[in-house]
Amino acid sequence: MSLLVDAFSLLAILAGLVFFAAGTAGLLRFPDASSRLHALTKADHLGLGLIVLGLLPRAEAVGGAPRLIAVWLLVLVSSAAAGPLLARLARRR
Amino acid sequence: MAAGATRFALLLLAWAAITGGDDMMLGAVTAAAAAWCSLLLSPPGPYRPRPTALALLALRFPWQALRAGVDVARVALDPRRAPNPGEVAWTPRLPPGPARDAFLAYASLLPGTLPAGEAADGAVIIHALTNHAAVAADMTAEEARFARAIGADA
Repeated sequence: MSLLVDAFSLLAILAGLVFFAAGTAGLLRFPDASSRLHALTKADHLGLGLIVLGLLPRAEAVGGAPRLIAVWLLVLVSSAAAGPLLARLARRR
Repeated sequence: MAAGATRFALLLLAWAAITGGDDMMLGAVTAAAAAWCSLLLSPPGPYRPRPTALALLALRFPWQALRAGVDVARVALDPRRAPNPGEVAWTPRLPPGPARDAFLAYASLLPGTLPAGEAADGAVIIHALTNHAAVAADMTAEEARFARAIGADA
């Protein structure tokens, strides 16, 4: 059982890292500021979400599951607020 | 008063989640101060959220985040797929104000769409990474779901 849980954690965290790498590739590869924002927000949200998911079974070590989920939600809220603002500024120039 | 109590309860819940239930007295003082500030900065609007529709929207969100992330990651990592960014003018149904702003912030988390300011004729500019043709219809469908959840469609 614990082997299964460990395998789940490992897979989820590795998948999360892939999406962080994809977000960074997008940041380097995409042609304009708004496209880069797509990469930085959407791919990284999914990456962070998967890492949080993978850490949930061992959440006691990092302050409990609600704290982990709160971290993900706070990142979502802050980039939902900042993303459109930055895209608007980038367009105005 | 009811709005203040709801905000206080949600903020206290956030405190409990982040601290793991420590120092709840300090949390109550902080949540009360934050609820008071939020009432000053953002007074309660005319809409009454519908709990069921709101829960459905929240439950649907992880799936949307998955689609959004996979979409962007494929364009970023697959050398055969180049990004094809473009802008689409889309006319919202929600009137200008906090409800529309909240929807546009939420829409920036959805697959393929990033609101990027307003056009001169009152439309909203949506920046799309690929698949521009579907953007306006998707935004309208999502806006209807969002409006139902916050009770703005009555």
